[in-house]
Amino acid sequence: MTEAAAHAESAEPILRLRGVGRRFGGLHAVSDVDLDVIPGERRAILGPNGAGKTTLFNVVAGDLPVTSGRIELFGRDVTREPARQRAKLGLARSYQQSRLFLGLSVEDNIFLAIVGVGRGHLRPVVLPRKDAELRARAREAARRAAIDGRLGDVVGALAHGEHRQVALAMALAAEPKLLMLDEPASGLSRGERQLLTELLLALDADITLILIEHDMDIALRVAERVTMMHEGRVIVEGTPAEIRANQLVHDLYLGSHYGSEPEGGASG
Amino acid sequence: MSPFAWHPRPMSEKNLVELVIGVTLLLFLAVFPVFGVGYWVSFVLTQTFLIGIAAASLVFLTAYGGMVSLAQTALYGISAFALGNMVTKGAVKGLHLGLDPWLAVVLAIAITTAIGLVFGAVASRSAGIYFLMITLTYAVIAFTFFGQVTQVSGFSGIAGIADRTPALVGDPVTQPNRLYYIALVTALVVYFAIRHVVRTPFGISLQGVRDDPVRMGSLGYNVALHRTLAFTFAAFIASLAGVLYGWWNGVIAPDNVGLGATVDLLIVAVIGGLGRVEGAWLGAFAFVVINNYVRDVSVPVLGGSFNTVIGLIFLAIVIVSPSGLMGLWDRLWDAAGYREGSGPRAAAAAGTAGPQA
Ligand SMILES: Nc1ncnc2c1ncn2[C@@H]1O[C@H](COP(=O)(O)OP(=O)(O)OP(=O)(O)O)[C@@H](O)[C@H]1O
Ligand SMILES: [Mg+2]
Repeated sequence: MTEAAAHAESAEPILRLRGVGRRFGGLHAVSDVDLDVIPGERRAILGPNGAGKTTLFNVVAGDLPVTSGRIELFGRDVTREPARQRAKLGLARSYQQSRLFLGLSVEDNIFLAIVGVGRGHLRPVVLPRKDAELRARAREAARRAAIDGRLGDVVGALAHGEHRQVALAMALAAEPKLLMLDEPASGLSRGERQLLTELLLALDADITLILIEHDMDIALRVAERVTMMHEGRVIVEGTPAEIRANQLVHDLYLGSHYGSEPEGGASG
Repeated sequence: MSPFAWHPRPMSEKNLVELVIGVTLLLFLAVFPVFGVGYWVSFVLTQTFLIGIAAASLVFLTAYGGMVSLAQTALYGISAFALGNMVTKGAVKGLHLGLDPWLAVVLAIAITTAIGLVFGAVASRSAGIYFLMITLTYAVIAFTFFGQVTQVSGFSGIAGIADRTPALVGDPVTQPNRLYYIALVTALVVYFAIRHVVRTPFGISLQGVRDDPVRMGSLGYNVALHRTLAFTFAAFIASLAGVLYGWWNGVIAPDNVGLGATVDLLIVAVIGGLGRVEGAWLGAFAFVVINNYVRDVSVPVLGGSFNTVIGLIFLAIVIVSPSGLMGLWDRLWDAAGYREGSGPRAAAAAGTAGPQA
């Protein structure tokens, strides 16, 4: 906790959680989480299955209300604000199970991510110049996520790996200040993971990134700080080196995950 | 993939064929009154156009908003009742306000659209079966209201609407071609308006709401507002059908907004296909023709009523092609593409990659 406090002092946090909890009936999926993420930071959230990582994302993004605690985003208390307000403030997220608009084309999916944070949701007329500009941005995001070969295809017809790329393109297209990715590498091939890592490393310095990732190679290469969760609580927070050296982390998590990924060690 | 999804693609061979069919049909319809049988002009086709408009409002909500509304008949009835009350004068039922015919048209459309806004706002927080139930409630409210509140209707309804049409419309009985063309043009405007709207930010985000409303929220959209406005737009379309119906039928009665009429419109939309707007008019045509020509056919055991015949046809279509006649056309096209083997047509029909221009 002292570590977290010292970290928080270095800048006004872009995201500040205090005592955040979320119960499902008797199950404490997230309990008493304090978290400070500063602008431009690359943060990884690790933890075994069921640790509460996704639930934490859900309450931060506003997809689920908290059952206790307080969430500040960009210096503003958003605890009671709906997901759409938080998106408008500059938060974009991806989902562990891709949530895409299966009946729309790849380009339209990304188009929606762009329009969502801008104005003109309700515009009922085509404005050729304006639409061309929005679509150019959508195509650019598709290119960055390497899905620009399938722009006109209906998302429902794509493969799983391509869904992840569309989800990533949508998150990038919104040009968020805070980007939250939930296991973006899951289900990707080795080559696709390499592309993803490069993309994350090349992300604009002023974008803040919070990443849930079981692939330790990616997580520890991309992150500057790591938060380790277990049974709904934050148990350790520190730099990747500190996390690697931490005995508790090894016992609870790395023993199974990290040890099985030899190339992860080489990268550090 | 959602059976309700309709996906815009670059001009394919199929689009081209549809365009040719569409233009040919339109030319045919444009000259039809010149040589056509009066009965087909005034009865079958004019009715097809206006029922198709009402059905298109339902197909729009279903295909693009994922909202199956049972209130579209009520809304077009409200429009016709509003028109009847405002435009008639003298010794008829209702308020017989005797307003200027055009003013009455504008007010009927405005009132219906406003009621659609209120209905939509209330229903917009529900989806699926709950949305269906709420819109069914609207249908029941409308029927009960017009049945009970004799000041604005009474059980025999309001007659004499056709006597008080604008000069442009003339007398629908002696000058049926005018109403025919007005209904045709209105249907075309509605068709192209829907086709346009679904390509706009509003329309694309409506399809996003259809596919995953929660995700739309986390992208920054106000899902309830989107649903409300889509419902309002559909109410506006239904109100146009209501005005045309008032002129065409001359009478509007509570039975026109009853549960039977509500189900009929649903049947029209399902027969045509809930996935594509064109289906609304295809379904309306099939319904009107069956209504006129098949009603005397006797079905063994079940008897010979119109309801039996339309019920069996409905059943057959739902089983053979859940996405209606338009869906049947889509599938026939796909099947033809597969038989021809490879090539762009087969690829496009497969609904996947295909060479994109
Ligand atoms: N909507 C829900 N209703 C009930 N229980 C839930 C719900 N969402 C999550 N949980 C429970 O909360 C706990 C934390 O789940 P969560 O998905 O946040 O874990 P996670 O850390 O993301 O795990 P994983 O690595 O498997 O994705 C789990 O026990 C899960 O079963
Ligand atoms: Mg998870």
